[in-house]
Amino acid sequence: MGSAPSEGTPGEPLAAFKIVVAGGFGVGKTTLVGAISEVRPLHTEEALTSAGVGLDDLSGVASKTTTTVAMDFGRITFGNHLVLYLFGTPGQERFWFMWDELSYGALGAVILADTRRLGDCFPAVDYFEKRRVPFVVAINCFDGAPRYDPRDVHIALDLDPGVPAVLCDARQRDSAKQVLIMLVEHVLASAAAGRSKPRRAQATGLA
Amino acid sequence: MSAGGNWDARDPGPVVRPYAVTGGRTEPAGGEVLDLITIVVASGKAAAADDPMGFTPEHRRILRLCQQPAAVADLASDTGLPLGVVRVLLADIILQGRITVLQRRGGERPRADLLKEVLHGLRAL
Repeated sequence: MGSAPSEGTPGEPLAAFKIVVAGGFGVGKTTLVGAISEVRPLHTEEALTSAGVGLDDLSGVASKTTTTVAMDFGRITFGNHLVLYLFGTPGQERFWFMWDELSYGALGAVILADTRRLGDCFPAVDYFEKRRVPFVVAINCFDGAPRYDPRDVHIALDLDPGVPAVLCDARQRDSAKQVLIMLVEHVLASAAAGRSKPRRAQATGLA
Repeated sequence: MSAGGNWDARDPGPVVRPYAVTGGRTEPAGGEVLDLITIVVASGKAAAADDPMGFTPEHRRILRLCQQPAAVADLASDTGLPLGVVRVLLADIILQGRITVLQRRGGERPRADLLKEVLHGLRAL
């Protein structure tokens, strides 16, 4: 592992990690982040660069069309040198560029699933599989939603055998904590095994 | 010539357009786009006497927040400024040597020993 030269102060170099919390709209991403950390808003204005962007814009203000992407994130600090950031993906899946930004260098991802709308998390599963970002699937147990065995969900999502899938309650701190622990353990196990096989036949849509 | 009924009832949009505080620039000076969790800190270097550009209030706010190490995402959240804007302003200050990058997050996989520390930390929560 080519450890980059630390530019930090002598002693404990700061290390920051990020975990992406993904899933369909309204599946409880913010709830999960909020259960274990203080949620803070983050937004960006992305310039929709296309025609007409040049160096000759003398007006001094951005005249390009921009679109606002709202996200939120949480931060957990361990000791005085480790910081873990949890980023929820933007609700609208058309903001794929933001997914790239969030996933770059991410430790791993939690995909939240709702058994009533399992198909909503297919894009996230595909996304992280293609980019070889290790992930776990956490099935958020909404009140009144049918309970399924996580193994059935595993099959329905056509997950790799090694990918963990568990039930969780995104509102509960301890449950959120267990999901994160499971992810970090999975990341460590994957790294130790030194593999992440390319795979996945076309998933047959459930929804 | 009537001025029309309700011109003042329309949503005028943001009072300051997002990239007005960067002078319309959408790309960070120097070209490096800092990752969300890249950690930066004020260097303690004083402002150059012949500061050619002059910092805006937004530059100074970011500089103040960097008295303690902060991630790019923290700065965007704390200032309420769009992420892209914070990156542009941050790059200006870095170019002047008044903020330095403490930890540059790349696309490499995190080190196993640090991950184990994170794991222990999570278990102890």
